[in-house]
Amino acid sequence: MPDLPLETSNIIFELRNVTHQFGSLAAVRDVTLQIRAGERVALVGPSGAGKSTLISLLNGTLSPSQGEVWVLGQHLARLSPRGLRHVQRQIGTIYQQFHLVNNLRVIHNVNAGHLGRWTFLKGVISLAWPLDVDTAAKALAQVGIPEKIYERTDRLSGGQQQRVAIARVLVQQPQAILADEPVSSLDPERSREIMSLLRDLSQTTGKTLVVSLHDIDLARSHCDRIVGLREGQVVFDRPADEVNETFIRALYKITA
Amino acid sequence: MQKTLSGRTSASPVAVPRPSLFNRKTGWVLLFIAGVIWALLQAGLLQHDFVNPGGWERVRRFLAAGLNPDLSPDFLRLTLDVTITTLAFAVCGTFFSLIFGFVAGIFASEVWWQSILPGRVGGRSLYRAPWLAVRSVLAFLRAIHEIIWGLFFISIIGLDPLSAVLAIAIPFGAVTGKVFSEILDEMPRQPYLVLRNSGVPPTLALTYTLVPQAFLDALSYAFYRFECSIRAAAVLGIIGAGGLGHEIFLSLQSLRYEQIWTLFLALFALNGLTDLWSGLLRRRLGAKLSCSGADCVDIDSPMSGTATLQLYRYDRVVRASLIIAALLIPFSFWYIQPNFGKLFSERTLLHLGEVARWAFPPDFSQLPLSEWLELSAVTVAMSLLAIAGAGLLALVLSFPSAHNFLLPGGLLVPSTAGLFHRTLGWAVLLIARSILLVARSIPPPVWALLFIFVLFPGILPGAAALGMYTLGILGRLMAEVVENLDDRPLTALKALGARGGDIFTYGILPLSSPRFLAYGLYRWEEAIRATVVVGLVGAGGLGHLLTEQLSSFDYQGVFTTLIVFVTLIFLVDQISAAVRRTFREN
Repeated sequence: MPDLPLETSNIIFELRNVTHQFGSLAAVRDVTLQIRAGERVALVGPSGAGKSTLISLLNGTLSPSQGEVWVLGQHLARLSPRGLRHVQRQIGTIYQQFHLVNNLRVIHNVNAGHLGRWTFLKGVISLAWPLDVDTAAKALAQVGIPEKIYERTDRLSGGQQQRVAIARVLVQQPQAILADEPVSSLDPERSREIMSLLRDLSQTTGKTLVVSLHDIDLARSHCDRIVGLREGQVVFDRPADEVNETFIRALYKITA
Repeated sequence: MQKTLSGRTSASPVAVPRPSLFNRKTGWVLLFIAGVIWALLQAGLLQHDFVNPGGWERVRRFLAAGLNPDLSPDFLRLTLDVTITTLAFAVCGTFFSLIFGFVAGIFASEVWWQSILPGRVGGRSLYRAPWLAVRSVLAFLRAIHEIIWGLFFISIIGLDPLSAVLAIAIPFGAVTGKVFSEILDEMPRQPYLVLRNSGVPPTLALTYTLVPQAFLDALSYAFYRFECSIRAAAVLGIIGAGGLGHEIFLSLQSLRYEQIWTLFLALFALNGLTDLWSGLLRRRLGAKLSCSGADCVDIDSPMSGTATLQLYRYDRVVRASLIIAALLIPFSFWYIQPNFGKLFSERTLLHLGEVARWAFPPDFSQLPLSEWLELSAVTVAMSLLAIAGAGLLALVLSFPSAHNFLLPGGLLVPSTAGLFHRTLGWAVLLIARSILLVARSIPPPVWALLFIFVLFPGILPGAAALGMYTLGILGRLMAEVVENLDDRPLTALKALGARGGDIFTYGILPLSSPRFLAYGLYRWEEAIRATVVVGLVGAGGLGHLLTEQLSSFDYQGVFTTLIVFVTLIFLVDQISAAVRRTFREN
């Protein structure tokens, strides 16, 4: 993928001069960014740099205070609620705290990935008598926990819960995967496993991956493009192998 | 062998067998459904007509009077007076119940007993026996309903406001003591142990460490108790203690419907304002602790008090509330003038001695065993019907009355919703909340009398009356659960393109159901206690027997029935604990 000339790829995400304010605080300031199909992009930067806000803007759960967010060729602010849902089905998101429904069984959390396509009735029936068990079982096997399918989600360890979240994305079959600090709650060993899982997923299926990370080494080893954010602004945006210590130091330096 | 994405090989893909549809959880559900059917049969579902068609004319006249409440100056003055009386009963009752609960809380806490009796005998901790004994005494005191305490005190010290105050203070003090003790036991113990190790006596060490730590949770709970006290004070009016309940009862008996509506409006205002105040304060305190049933504290685990105490000391709402409370207490005592002298007068002591002599020993042979069983069955049936109906309706009403549900920016509505949606959202919210407020403001005996307009006396009107009251409280508690939901899993569902309905079934409902269940069980226990209240209007069961015995001064009978009744309540507590355990663990 990295060899593909970028100009010929389709643009999946595009931010045009986007600003997002929480009250008087601008979490994202005048950011312009394009992400193409098949890219693996890491967002790095200190806490409070606006990484999570950026991800929420990309999946349409936040709308920008200024500027335009385009996803899959659609201007999100112009879409009807139904149209927005249509775009959102094509984007899977993974979170630092997993954001699963803890007291449901694993199967239902995984099957939630179908909800954009299933009818309401099918969803309800599946809660009583799980449907599409094969798809869910395959997804869980892919993430390495096939035996947990009928377990209650809150019984699983953190690493296993993150795998459930990834299985949900697998079932959803989106074109792009957003991951908001997916490994910050996990130990280093678990972190590498989850990141490799995400990279392999992106490599084998050609899905776009946008992941915010604290760990620069993980960003360099698992992504092919790194965007450095600081105080809501893009500080640098380069291929992963060009990002050296100078960039990193500049990114994390303390302003007087 | 199958290769996983991360390059690891997983064990050969054994198909995990689909778990059976029949497990402990569905077992309880089926048992509940069977129980409700049994209760309906007990109520005579198939045997006779329930509805008295002749009663609709009275309902019509009653409702018509609602358009024309009695607003004459004289009656308004009376209404104001009895409203303040009810408020004052509640304030004084809460005041004593908090003092009692605070002291009882220390002496019912595990940590206190552990430190005064640290030894072990035969492999068992020495402190357990006296600790459990104290807790059982509290359980016994709170199992007896306010109205039974009220009737008891009226017969001992007469129709003095003191009777109503004590009737609230004792059972509520016992509940408060239980909850305080559990809050104390959940607090981090390090500071306490440091003081103990430097030789400070246990009670002093507790008051200097764990008590201040637990202060915020306790304060929050105290205000919830005050809400309950207002409702209890209205109910107590019915047995002649005065206040709003008493006047409503009198007007209802003399068929002055216009007056009833005036009194109702006062009752709604009093309850509505109290609930609003207490709700605001408890939100500010950040504690979600608002239930007093068994095991409730572990459901709403208290926050750590020390970290937040500083923060809230300067909160305006909290400070204003404490000042208002400090003014209300002396005012209330001055307004109702309870005669404390009566408590220790010779006459009271004489009466107490007589009552004790008459009451002992209990005599179960007064009624044949089959009769005891029948009365117990009627009591359980009534409570089951009440909680089933109330639970279903509360489920329907709790979501629209939560402020984060249908309003713009709520869980199901985009924040960009237009004026029409905004207006509609507010309208639905106000209607749902008003229904719940009306349902819990009107005392159950009054509901029973209203239902008797169109229903023939029996289990059904009693259950309906209890159900309405339970609905009002349960719906409010459940709406608070929805308002406190963790919305992150819901945002995650929204982000993957799920529709509102899907977010409800896959997110909101499963996330809120454990608390809903806990509150439902807690209110079922309360409903069984409260069957005595509708027994007052002839709705059958042990409660009816109890009130008859009390009014004929048959203290031996009262004592015997109380033992049966309390045993029944303990059984229900056990069942509800078992249900809770199943749903927590599976």
